[in-house]
Amino acid sequence: MAFFGFDTTLPRDRDGSGPRGFFETPDPFAQVAQASALDDDAIDFEDTYDGLGDQLDDDQDEFNDDTFGGPGPESSGRDFDFFGKTAQVSDAIGEEQVRYSLQNPNAPRVAQPVAQPVQPAPQAKRSGYEKYSEPGYIPDLQAKSSVWGVSQKKTEPIPASRKMLSLEEVEAQMRHSSNAGAPAGDAFLRSMVEPQFHPQSQHLQAIPDGYPPVHPEFLQAQLRQGHLPQMAHPPPGMPELYGGPGIMPPGGPMHMLQNINAPPQNLPPAGPRHAGPPQVQRPPQHQQLPPNRVSSNGMPVITDPQQLANLTPEQRNAYLMEDAKRAKRNHKIFLLSRGNGLMTPQDKNFITRIQLQQLVAAAGSIADSDPEAVLAEDFYYQVCSQIRGAPRQHPHQPLGHFAQTYLLQTGNRLGGHRRGNFQSADNHMQRMQQQVQRAVEAAKAKPKNKQLIIEGSLGKIAFSNAKAPKPMLNIKRPDSADGPKPKKLQSNLSLSDRKSILTNVENVYSALMAMEDMERTMPPPPEEGDAEAIQEHMEWRQKLHTLNQKLWRSLKVMEPIVPNSTTPHPFIAFLSYPKGKKAIPRIFRHIDQEQRVTILTMIVVHLDSLDVVRLAQPVPGEAQPSLGMREAIDLFSLAVMPCLLGYVNEAPFNIIIGLLGLVINQTHVQTVARTKVGLGILTMLLSRAEIVKEAGQASEHDWQQWVEKFNVLFDTLEPGLNDTFPGTISSGDDMYVWQFLAAVGIGASPEQQQRLVIAVKDRVMETVGYSKTLPADMGSQRLSNVNLFMRAIGLDVELLG
Amino acid sequence: MLFFSFFKTLTNQTVTIELKNDIRIRGTLKSVDQYLNIKLDDIEVLDLVKYPHLSSVKNMFIRGSVVRYVMLPRSEVDVGLLEDATRREAANQAGKAR
Repeated sequence: MAFFGFDTTLPRDRDGSGPRGFFETPDPFAQVAQASALDDDAIDFEDTYDGLGDQLDDDQDEFNDDTFGGPGPESSGRDFDFFGKTAQVSDAIGEEQVRYSLQNPNAPRVAQPVAQPVQPAPQAKRSGYEKYSEPGYIPDLQAKSSVWGVSQKKTEPIPASRKMLSLEEVEAQMRHSSNAGAPAGDAFLRSMVEPQFHPQSQHLQAIPDGYPPVHPEFLQAQLRQGHLPQMAHPPPGMPELYGGPGIMPPGGPMHMLQNINAPPQNLPPAGPRHAGPPQVQRPPQHQQLPPNRVSSNGMPVITDPQQLANLTPEQRNAYLMEDAKRAKRNHKIFLLSRGNGLMTPQDKNFITRIQLQQLVAAAGSIADSDPEAVLAEDFYYQVCSQIRGAPRQHPHQPLGHFAQTYLLQTGNRLGGHRRGNFQSADNHMQRMQQQVQRAVEAAKAKPKNKQLIIEGSLGKIAFSNAKAPKPMLNIKRPDSADGPKPKKLQSNLSLSDRKSILTNVENVYSALMAMEDMERTMPPPPEEGDAEAIQEHMEWRQKLHTLNQKLWRSLKVMEPIVPNSTTPHPFIAFLSYPKGKKAIPRIFRHIDQEQRVTILTMIVVHLDSLDVVRLAQPVPGEAQPSLGMREAIDLFSLAVMPCLLGYVNEAPFNIIIGLLGLVINQTHVQTVARTKVGLGILTMLLSRAEIVKEAGQASEHDWQQWVEKFNVLFDTLEPGLNDTFPGTISSGDDMYVWQFLAAVGIGASPEQQQRLVIAVKDRVMETVGYSKTLPADMGSQRLSNVNLFMRAIGLDVELLG
Repeated sequence: MLFFSFFKTLTNQTVTIELKNDIRIRGTLKSVDQYLNIKLDDIEVLDLVKYPHLSSVKNMFIRGSVVRYVMLPRSEVDVGLLEDATRREAANQAGKAR
């Protein structure tokens, strides 16, 4: 009952060498455990048996063993190991056959009554793995014929599972065993004279003549029992044939399968048979060879040396050739294996590291030729590691240098604590580097086919490497002729829709990046008289100027201002996007003063249509503008304002006057003054004017103009001064308002200062009172803000008590 | 190569990786290659109750193709530079396609 290949034999019946089920994978370690548990036979059948077996129909078990390979306890006493013996002495097989018969007395058979299911001799209990329990045991890898469990199959003592032998069968077996002891010469002679062809059963032919004569009754009985005298395993000769002791030939399991499937005819005929005329032997032999006996290369599977003799000369030659080849290969492996264990894993790691570093260096050497390419491929990493203070000094240092410094370190490591033969290792590395370089060059020299179509392959084989991975999608781009055209029409239609604004921003950025690249490649400042260098420098400046013009055009600052237009000016729209705001500092680095003042003028003119001014008013009921708007304002204050301030701080006074005039005339001052950005710009202008005045740089005429404008501004602002404070007093940041008030106060006349104090007196008192309720540092912060204003008009919060 | 370039700068940072089978792993990014295969050290599986078989795993190699998301430490990303790198990459791609 070996369904599904489970070994149902009891531990005591299991000795490891019985034929295995078809699906059974041999588990060598099971035997180890078994060996250690030999003393107390740990598993009690009754404890573990779930009774499922009782439900099985025993009538239908007849052919289970044929199908799955029956479990067979080993019989130690029935020694019919013809094949193992014959294989060992393949030279003189005829004599050996005689000797074999003589060598194997029938003593064990006598000692063992046939029909009794008694366990065989004690050594059957040996699992063969006992030795493994000894530490340090190295098994001698000999192919043992008993492993294959071959001959025992034939006449095993009937185990517990096969109790139901009829008397007839028992008699047959007894006669059989008594005959087995008959002089071998007798059998030999008989087989010579009359080969046993039994007409009754096809299977009877199967019994090779090397076996002692078997009575037909017995065979038939066995047949009825479903115990075909089959060969479940390859004969023991095979391992020797394949040269290496204990080495399974490639495809070994396949052979086993084939042998299991093969009908019993596959028993290799034993020696005496071949002494006879081959003509007698051959017809049945060929007839009996089923197709699956032929291995994949068209060669018959040779499992016994005797089979060799039966082959046709061509087959034999082919076989011998193959065998020679195999032997040669094994020999080669053996020769190579002498070096086994020469290198420690650390050594191997070291070599691997060197190889990898060579590859990196090789990649670097490609890059050496074109550092621009490295930067293009690996821009983020290169620049980022520069910013973060990575080992390289400047971002454009080619990767190769990096790799080489790395390599040097390794060399030092090697010389430091390894074998001390730095020199040879260094040579080695150099040689390897050269090799890799050659390989890389060869690869570069190859035509750069992106894909390969091999005849008969299904589809194309695309090459890929680290730089150009295999494209997963192959999208055909539309010809530029019909693609972008409709888009252009659209973008011309509306100059200020979102998409075209974003396109503008991107254009600005690409111009910026081009300029930054140009800056990188600036030639060294030319020396006197070096015409070539001067020429080079001039060309460079020319290019830079072209790029500057491109940048300026893409900024669209010079687009005409359309009064009362519903769409904002392109430049103002540009500033309404965060990345537009972020671009301003970078732009300011690349433009001249005139362009800067143009930008400043543009911003001032459109001050109340800037998003950070226009949308900065909190929605009624809200203390603050929305979060997004606050972020935009912060960004504007961080990115744009410093640039403007940087310019304004150096601007001539007349420009300041002009700008203030623009604010008053072109914008809604009340609205502007209620925003942080608007107040910031006003503060900027006012404080610059004050500085100019202090420095005495302002001419009388200019100053008169300024005071005029200032008075207008003051008058406009005065009624709404309280509204300039954001939210309530507790809402925090109002420092910029105090700064603005301070700037106003400094420039104001005493009369104006008076009005100023009256206008914001409440707020001052409130803030002073509120700051007392705050923690000390926050309170003093608020007080100092107020003080900024108070000092500007010659007062101090201390005076308020 | 932008992603490769980008992830290279994140080595030795703590990242959280979500795989396409929903497992989320937090660990130190040890290395990354051009296939965006990822080596993580000192890992910690979020939602370990669901994936107890990973409880004893200390480091791992993740094939790039099974990654759904990589969650990054925000402070380690230079956004402006990344934007520029993206522009360059796009320009390169456009140049190659032509």
